[in-house]
Amino acid sequence: MPAKKSIDLYALTWRVPIILWQLLFFVGPVLFMVAISFFVVKNYRMTEAFEFVNWQKMLSRSYFWDSYWYTLFIASFSASVAMIVAFPAAWALAFRASDALRRWAVFLLIIPFFTSYLVRTFSWYVILAESGVLNAMLGFVGLGPFTMLNTHFGTVVGYLTLTLPLAVILQTVTMANIDKTLIEAARNLGCKPLATIWRVVLPLSKTGFIIAALFCFILSFGDFVAPFYLGGSQEPTLPILILDTTKSGQQWPRAAVVAIMMMLTLFTIAFTAIALAYRKPKGAK
Amino acid sequence: MTEPLVTFRNVEKRFADFVAVQDLNLDIHEGEFLAIMGSSGCGKTTTLRMLAGLESPTQGEIHIGGRLMNDVKPHERDTPLVWQSLALFPFLTARENVEFGLKMRGVEKAERRRRALDWLERMDISEFAERNVDTLSGGQKQRVALARSLVMEPRMLLLDEPLSALDANLVIRMQGVLTRLQKELGITFVYVTHSQSEAFAMADRVVIMSRGNIAQVGTPKDIYRAPANRFVAEFVGRNNILSGKIDTIDSDTVSITTPAGQFTAKPPAFAIQSGQDTSFVVSADLVSLSRTAPDGGNKVQATLISEEFIGSVVTLFLESADGHEFKVQMQERELLDLDLAADQSVWLSWSAGNAHILEGG
Repeated sequence: MPAKKSIDLYALTWRVPIILWQLLFFVGPVLFMVAISFFVVKNYRMTEAFEFVNWQKMLSRSYFWDSYWYTLFIASFSASVAMIVAFPAAWALAFRASDALRRWAVFLLIIPFFTSYLVRTFSWYVILAESGVLNAMLGFVGLGPFTMLNTHFGTVVGYLTLTLPLAVILQTVTMANIDKTLIEAARNLGCKPLATIWRVVLPLSKTGFIIAALFCFILSFGDFVAPFYLGGSQEPTLPILILDTTKSGQQWPRAAVVAIMMMLTLFTIAFTAIALAYRKPKGAK
Repeated sequence: MTEPLVTFRNVEKRFADFVAVQDLNLDIHEGEFLAIMGSSGCGKTTTLRMLAGLESPTQGEIHIGGRLMNDVKPHERDTPLVWQSLALFPFLTARENVEFGLKMRGVEKAERRRRALDWLERMDISEFAERNVDTLSGGQKQRVALARSLVMEPRMLLLDEPLSALDANLVIRMQGVLTRLQKELGITFVYVTHSQSEAFAMADRVVIMSRGNIAQVGTPKDIYRAPANRFVAEFVGRNNILSGKIDTIDSDTVSITTPAGQFTAKPPAFAIQSGQDTSFVVSADLVSLSRTAPDGGNKVQATLISEEFIGSVVTLFLESADGHEFKVQMQERELLDLDLAADQSVWLSWSAGNAHILEGG
């Protein structure tokens, strides 16, 4: 007869707290939010119920879908810009810089995270305002002034403030670990210097780059600060829509619908991206 | 002789304040199997990398096929290299790895697939064509790496210690594969190694390098029997090196006095004077051993210290009265016939024709 599995107290001591923590502060609230999405609001008061009215109302409104596609687009766009702008810097740090310089660069790229993101966002006011630093400089060469605050441009600048240093760090670390012999081997077989980026560097960096792009996207998609303060919220992103919905008539249930839609979107994208990142190469067992 | 395929003329390669290769002069001929041998840091890999264009010389000229190559970029050359780490692309299948170079050269898809499969077939690994290279064994990867370079149909193949990661059995097998391929294709192989057995087993000519300089160039037999200088004599091992002063010089023998006695050697190709300090070398397997003193010739009495048994061949270590260590290599059954005991005193002898005077003392 198989021995009865004994309960390992030591293992439990370590496991139980984290499980409790997750249940209490993550799974619980998420389930509560799902429940709220079925509640109804009457006379500015939320009452327990199980009705699909919030889902019906939100998902049939064009302003929800406008905001949904806009958020998806601008977050993807900003993530792409971050990845492209970061690449030359990361490439140089990974392949041209000395080990010491690379260490310093990564350290300096972490420094922006010491300061609150909100503070960094507000500092863009000084630079981007109608009478700000950038317009003053452009004025010297007879250009402008341009409106940069409260535009899509402002939103993207805000997102990049958050994501660009991270993109550079993740790309650098990924490419610095590439076996340089493979790049030489490609050159040896007739590959032109720039073509080695497509033929060797990117295929070898696939996992790291997809994870980096995913981080840039997630941080932008869920960000409230950049579109609110720099984008002027004329075209509301989903986080702004959530705020607006809660303010207008205490519609917490409808805000919950938006939040759940955001979570489902992020789950789908993150799952797909990670599956792609770790997909085995052709012919692997 | 026709013009060499490769010429190095006074080539120097300097990295910051480290001189990797200096004043290198070397011709490599069409269709030869040339091994460049030396210990690590001797400049052999740098020399090979200069041929591939992965390093450019800081001084001197390298010509390949009559063309000055100093500043020709690696991707503009026809010098495929087989790397020590093999450097196969892990995100591609075996066939795609072999096709890579052809793709870069703009060979059309159907054609490059056909040529890649031909080479995989020729290397006996066509069944793994669509497998990812990380799933292959060491020997199979080796064959993919060779196919990837040879599919380019180069005039010259560069190999940088390609067998160093394989186990002993496989090394012998791959040596056979490499020499056969080289003969069949008739192209030049330039093979860098630190292993004497690999170099001697495969190469037509061997270049021995030391501290960025060429110590000797010659056939494996030349280098083994007649090392040009003390470095080579010590590097190829299993030699007896004796130092002394030149006494008399005849037309066919040179007499040399050493602490172990007076010996004769054959006159070298370079100039010598009587009274000068010199050294000569006798291969361990050309020394005879007997229990009684032989008549005339070069002989010395020595005591048996120890023996080293490696299969059918044994190496005996002996010491002469003045404390010089001698090495004698012989068949194990010859040794049994002599019936020696430890600490026994025996006579060593060799002919003057087998004693080579080393250049530079």
